[in-house]
Amino acid sequence: MRQEVLRKGEGGVWPWFLQRITAVLLLYGLTVHLVVLHVLNIGRLTFDNIGDRLGSGFFVFTDFLLLFAVVFHGLNGVRMVLLDYGFQGSKRTALDAALVVIGVAAIAYGIWAFWPWLTD
Amino acid sequence: MPEATFRIHRYDPERDGDRRWQEFTVPYESSLTVLEGLFYIQESLDGSLSFRYCCRAAVCGSCAMYINGRYRLACQTNVKNLEDAPITVEPLPHMPLVKDLVCDMTDFFAKYEYVKPYIMHDSKYPEKETLQSPEDRRKLDNPVDCILCGSCYSSCPSVWGEDNYLGPAALLWAYRFEADTRDEARKARVSSFDNERGVYRCHTITNCVEACPKELNPTEAVQWLKGAAVRRRIFGRWK
Repeated sequence: MRQEVLRKGEGGVWPWFLQRITAVLLLYGLTVHLVVLHVLNIGRLTFDNIGDRLGSGFFVFTDFLLLFAVVFHGLNGVRMVLLDYGFQGSKRTALDAALVVIGVAAIAYGIWAFWPWLTD
Repeated sequence: MPEATFRIHRYDPERDGDRRWQEFTVPYESSLTVLEGLFYIQESLDGSLSFRYCCRAAVCGSCAMYINGRYRLACQTNVKNLEDAPITVEPLPHMPLVKDLVCDMTDFFAKYEYVKPYIMHDSKYPEKETLQSPEDRRKLDNPVDCILCGSCYSSCPSVWGEDNYLGPAALLWAYRFEADTRDEARKARVSSFDNERGVYRCHTITNCVEACPKELNPTEAVQWLKGAAVRRRIFGRWK
């Protein structure tokens, strides 16, 4: 390989940076989850209690944050792994498109699951 | 006289094209290095043995080999410090082979050149010497020790999987000049490594840190370059 033969690379900084940001958000979400469900509310996990909690802005905000962070972090991780297996050109465009579709579908499903509590 | 047994990787593309092992017995002295053992074999036992060397003082990086399952410089590896016998000597793994212990370093050096490993100025000829504080110079103490032996490059799984990935050595040199306060290359260098063929292909596996015979830390350098890329975009800071 000569220097001129090296293919020029593209992008990469934002996926890398957002992977770090979402990792921090996941740590935050996990902490809230463990503290609320496994420490504060042990033995009181009924449907009504959980429904009440979803009336609070803090929990709705945290849940949505977690939803976006989990979907991005997971799918971006899969993308990073697959890019190491030679996804280039049109294959790479197809991969990106497929991951966006899966991501949007997952977030739409998450919002749909929240919807009854949001509109009450 | 005591003896040491060398088990050496042989490969001759013109003769047989097959890789095989060959054992040699070398007279042992307590100060014998692996490189001296190879000299003895070449001079007295088999003149067809090929290997690279130059300085014999761990400065040039030519004699990096895979000795007893570790990346080492043959010239600074004392036989008495090797626990396992026979002494197994292989070329750098995962590199294209030329002959015996010699591998093809063309890609490695092409990628090194690609990151423009030299100080660049805005103006072509600076009018006076560019000074630097001792603190700023200390930041470069670590990366300037790189002797381009190729051990890190040969050990990196991201390199094995992607021909175009620049690899730890080139990126360590990119760091060496990016972290240098005297350098003003800016986009001219950054565009070579701030992408998915550059720093973002590194998944911090840290094989390079383990492999480096000079105990340098290319992974840390790559992480610094990633952080600098974000700082540059958010705060517009080049240094």
